[in-house]
Amino acid sequence: MERTEALLIADLCEGDETALAPLVEKYKRMVYRLAMQITKNHADADDVMQETFIKVYRSIRTFQKDAAFETWLYRIAVNEALNFVKRRERRRESAFEAAEGEYETTTRYQAQTASDPHVHAEKAELRHYVTKAVNSLSLKHRTVVILHEFEGLTHAEIASILNCSEGTVRSRLHYARKKLRTLLKPYVDASNV
Amino acid sequence: MRSKCDKIERLLSDYIDGTLSERQTTDVALHLRSCRSCKQEVVDLRKTNHLLKNFYVEPEASDTYYARFTTQLQQRIEQSAPTTLHQRFYAVLTRLGWHLFTQVHRRIERHRLSGFLSIRRHAFSYYILALTMTMLVVAPLLLHQVSPNDNGEHLIGRLYTAAKIRFFSGNPSATVQPTAMLAIKQDKTVAKPTDIRLNVSSGRTTETPAVDSNSDVWQFTDEPMTEGYIFTTLRENDSEAVPSVALDIDSELLAYAELPAQEAFNSRDVLTDSRYALLLLKGIDAGQHAPQQYERKRSGFKGFSQKLLDVSPEILSISEVYDSREL
Repeated sequence: MERTEALLIADLCEGDETALAPLVEKYKRMVYRLAMQITKNHADADDVMQETFIKVYRSIRTFQKDAAFETWLYRIAVNEALNFVKRRERRRESAFEAAEGEYETTTRYQAQTASDPHVHAEKAELRHYVTKAVNSLSLKHRTVVILHEFEGLTHAEIASILNCSEGTVRSRLHYARKKLRTLLKPYVDASNV
Repeated sequence: MRSKCDKIERLLSDYIDGTLSERQTTDVALHLRSCRSCKQEVVDLRKTNHLLKNFYVEPEASDTYYARFTTQLQQRIEQSAPTTLHQRFYAVLTRLGWHLFTQVHRRIERHRLSGFLSIRRHAFSYYILALTMTMLVVAPLLLHQVSPNDNGEHLIGRLYTAAKIRFFSGNPSATVQPTAMLAIKQDKTVAKPTDIRLNVSSGRTTETPAVDSNSDVWQFTDEPMTEGYIFTTLRENDSEAVPSVALDIDSELLAYAELPAQEAFNSRDVLTDSRYALLLLKGIDAGQHAPQQYERKRSGFKGFSQKLLDVSPEILSISEVYDSREL
């Protein structure tokens, strides 16, 4: 019998390790997506994934049952990824450039392969540049854009995850959009929407 | 006009999201009627959003990666999770020591050696570092002293066998067809349990084959269990030559469950109804180590065991207690 999420969490709280696997199964893609978008590197995203779920396993007793598990998980994953990037930058690892290259390859690959074979090359190019524009945003701006535009979180939820005010979230989102508009100007001007 | 535009411009992002208050929305809408520049800004922001929503490529990994990740995560949890109080204590010490080491190392880099050597300035760091390093060296020796078993083996790192019994049937309204599932955690560093016995209904005992040592969950039976009990015992080796001391330490009576007659166990939530199994935490060995084992085991089942021990005796009672030496 399939256990509900609430039961899985209750079981995990009581030390039942088997309850972790279904939660990982459900949220692994979300966590990977977030980690990859923030770290821009597959190896780092993998580390963030590991740390996130280990933290979930170890800290599940601190999770308040009346809160949304997904938001709690977002908070852990985003903060793990942000800390990872900050640590990496502090260490001034030269791997950062390689990392961006790796992510570029991934997105470009997907832009070409994920689409229908008959999709025009222009659309593939557009996907590439839009993705590149988002990736070129600063860490703070990129994080807010990802959480709001792609994960669909509200300003309040993002503020709670990033431990900042809603005003800060709004402001970052505003500047991020302006920056994106500038970066994508040729495509914005050509767009008929 | 420019200052008005600046003020409105800051609201445009929220305007296109529809998250402004009614009054602010009206203000912006009125301004847009008379300001071509701001109106164009709104159009551009909407177009940008459209591009993001429709053309941004989210990263995705292959199924192979996810499968590998899941396996690695499971292994890491099994291997690294500190389980006993001693292990947790040691893990915290190690983490603290490493943290302090990196802090001091960073200071050395920052201030060069001359700055760092100012003892007075960094006296506290020196003190904590020295204390931690001392504890790291001394703690294992101390722990070794407190819990040796009769064979002289210290018990650090040994996770006592833990059992959890669940009863459930696929269909809540169906007659009782519960299956018993027993999850057993084991310490990978000690000898693997190779023999588990299951006793279902009327004292019938079934021997299971040697368990898969890589697995920590075993499905024992799908036989109907309208009434009966289940218990397990572990042996370090499937051999008559196992020393009784070793058997005692690892063969506590683990679990006991009795179902009220004609009662269906429909799902896991019966746990909260006190209609569940009783996990009996009893050290079989009456020697000096038994109380410690009991305490540790109990702490490992914090919450779960408490719920089970709260079960009303009218609903669930202990009818027999087995000694592993009688099995």
